[in-house]
Amino acid sequence: MTGAYVPGLEGIIAAQTAISMVDGENGRLVYRGYVIADLAEDMSFEEVAHLLWYGRLPTRAELDGLTLELAASRALTPAAAATLNALPTDTDPMDVLRSVVSVQGVEHRLEKPTIPLAVHAAASFPTILANFHRRQAGLDPVAPRADLGHAANYLYMLNARESSPEIVRALNTYLVLLADHGMNASTFTARVIASTDSDLASCLVGAIGALKGPAHGGAPSAVMDQLEMIGTAANAERWMREARTQKVRFMGFGHRIYRTYDPRARILKAMCERLNPQFYDLASKVEETALAILHEEHPERPQATNVEFYSAGVLQAIGLPKEYFPPTFAVSRAAGWTAHVLEQSANNRLIRPQSEYIGPEPRKPAPLAERG
Amino acid sequence: MTEFSPGLEGVVAAETAVSEVDGANGRLIYRGGYLIEDVAAVASYEEIVHLLLQGDLPNSRQLDALRRQMAEARTLNDAGLGAIMALDPDTDPMDTLRTVVSAQGATRSITKPTLDEAIALTSIFPTIVAAAHRRRLGKEIVEPRPDLDHAANLLWMMEGTEPPAERASWVGHYLVLLADHGLNASTFAARVIASTGSDLTSSVVGAIGALKGAAHGGATLAARSMLDKIGSADNAEKWLKDAHARHERFAGFGHRVYRTYDPRAKSLREMAKTAAPQLHKTAARTEELALQILHEAHPERPNATNVDFWASVVLTGAGIPKEMFTCIFATSRVAGWTAHVLESLSDLRIIRPASRWVGPEGGKQALPLAGR
Repeated sequence: MTGAYVPGLEGIIAAQTAISMVDGENGRLVYRGYVIADLAEDMSFEEVAHLLWYGRLPTRAELDGLTLELAASRALTPAAAATLNALPTDTDPMDVLRSVVSVQGVEHRLEKPTIPLAVHAAASFPTILANFHRRQAGLDPVAPRADLGHAANYLYMLNARESSPEIVRALNTYLVLLADHGMNASTFTARVIASTDSDLASCLVGAIGALKGPAHGGAPSAVMDQLEMIGTAANAERWMREARTQKVRFMGFGHRIYRTYDPRARILKAMCERLNPQFYDLASKVEETALAILHEEHPERPQATNVEFYSAGVLQAIGLPKEYFPPTFAVSRAAGWTAHVLEQSANNRLIRPQSEYIGPEPRKPAPLAERG
Repeated sequence: MTEFSPGLEGVVAAETAVSEVDGANGRLIYRGGYLIEDVAAVASYEEIVHLLLQGDLPNSRQLDALRRQMAEARTLNDAGLGAIMALDPDTDPMDTLRTVVSAQGATRSITKPTLDEAIALTSIFPTIVAAAHRRRLGKEIVEPRPDLDHAANLLWMMEGTEPPAERASWVGHYLVLLADHGLNASTFAARVIASTGSDLTSSVVGAIGALKGAAHGGATLAARSMLDKIGSADNAEKWLKDAHARHERFAGFGHRVYRTYDPRAKSLREMAKTAAPQLHKTAARTEELALQILHEAHPERPNATNVDFWASVVLTGAGIPKEMFTCIFATSRVAGWTAHVLESLSDLRIIRPASRWVGPEGGKQALPLAGR
């Protein structure tokens, strides 16, 4: 039986999952039974990755084991390092990540996705980005430090020095918050690829490509650029009303699923207030104004602030350049992508929807000589 | 919210004029309304590229222009070449293709997919595939020849000698037949990635990843491997009966969409008589018996021979080593992938389905590490 065309597959259930649930009505995000607010403050990225991969929080021994395994998998293969060095230094870091993850995961025969392969892949994301960032600055790569956690080591490899505990904690919370989010477009891409019995690297490379799209991973500069143009909190109302008359979109607002405030945005907002007061003063005023204007225009629509808006302030406080915002999103989401691939392949069926043909009815082709 | 349809079977995920698989009647219609058997009789691969990307078959002037454009786009850039040289020569050639396409298409900032880019991508596939093949053999990479058409140049770059016209025509015919096929898993992956506003390279890289899967592009190799095990027409009966008793699946049979004989399989079966007479005998006997066994076991199922079965025979006759089958499939299908992405741009909407939650309810208490 074939139904009617559903644009964007909105409302169509494409998979069953026990990894995360986006409860848009109530503004809740649940990872394997835990609401995000209960995980964000106290859990390390490693603990949450364990939760997503194995279905439960680790014991001390399990956490130590996973931490060691991740730390031992951070180095790039010689082929991956050589590919990274073959790319022009002005390459979009998302393209670097896509290409080098592809190499890091090459195989000599097709392998079924496993947790060790997931660990191996996820561990390499920060190394790829940090090495490329250093290369762009004309600096040598910094070898990973096995005694540092995922977040701390990423910052260490970027900057060649340890960051303050507060900054490490902020990045860790960001990585926990973004690690999974239901059947979003990149996760769905990873599952479609997994459904053909392809390998893990193929799924990840596809997901990175999907995350690159501005409608998903965000136009990295968009939120920042708009805030820069607005300039000051005092200028917000005037600038934004004016912008609206010229149909300018407010960056960082709207989501297909949440009908109330995104719980991740709430946590990130509080972090911004602490870590990036200058950003916060402007951003919170812009948010207030944007929500008011959007509500006036479409009172029927839930105009919630999305996760991208305050992510920008947190990542800026951490010291990341804005081109590294989307690939740092990928550092986090790698945990969710791999968990979904494992779940898909454990109970697999080829994802092959139908299309509706809207072309002409069959007719005969003319031979080349007779075509006008 | 609707019901969960595993594998999105029967769900219409896109409207398309690029191609239509009419499974009930065993028809494949290419853009413009041409039945595959009609268009394959008059058109070269380059004409099909024009048809799929631009909406109709070219006249001689348009075809000449396209041939020139394609011949000029056969050279790897530094990043693409750097990536290919970075990889171990014995890397899975689909991983090489995935990586080199990614590196070749790496850019400074994101760009909207264009027709020229689609043509360039289609043109570069044989260069990458042939280079991967040469490196596997420990041989030097062969430079492309602008005076040869797409299929002949592919064989030239793989073998380093000009191929006989007959072999080039078998490859060309194969490329025509496989260039598009409705919303198959890899094409769907490409469209999902494009739906986020991502770039053409990302879509194509994701599609390569999906095609790599054993349940999709890998099926041609599986069919050939089965024929290798069977060895001869005389051995077919014993082998198939034994395999059936072991509950082994017969490679090259069954398709989710076709309810009658796949028209591409019909065309390839005919060609196989000349292209690979010896293997054709084994394959024909295998097909006859396999269909009989499958029909006895499942009289309610259509159990038709699929395209992979006869493609494996024709590609063998054309001199393509079986490790390269999936890459040659990709070399054909890239025209369809890029055509679908370009088509989707006219009404871009993020493809973001829903999922059904089958995990624990939210609100589980997260115990601190020490308490677990």
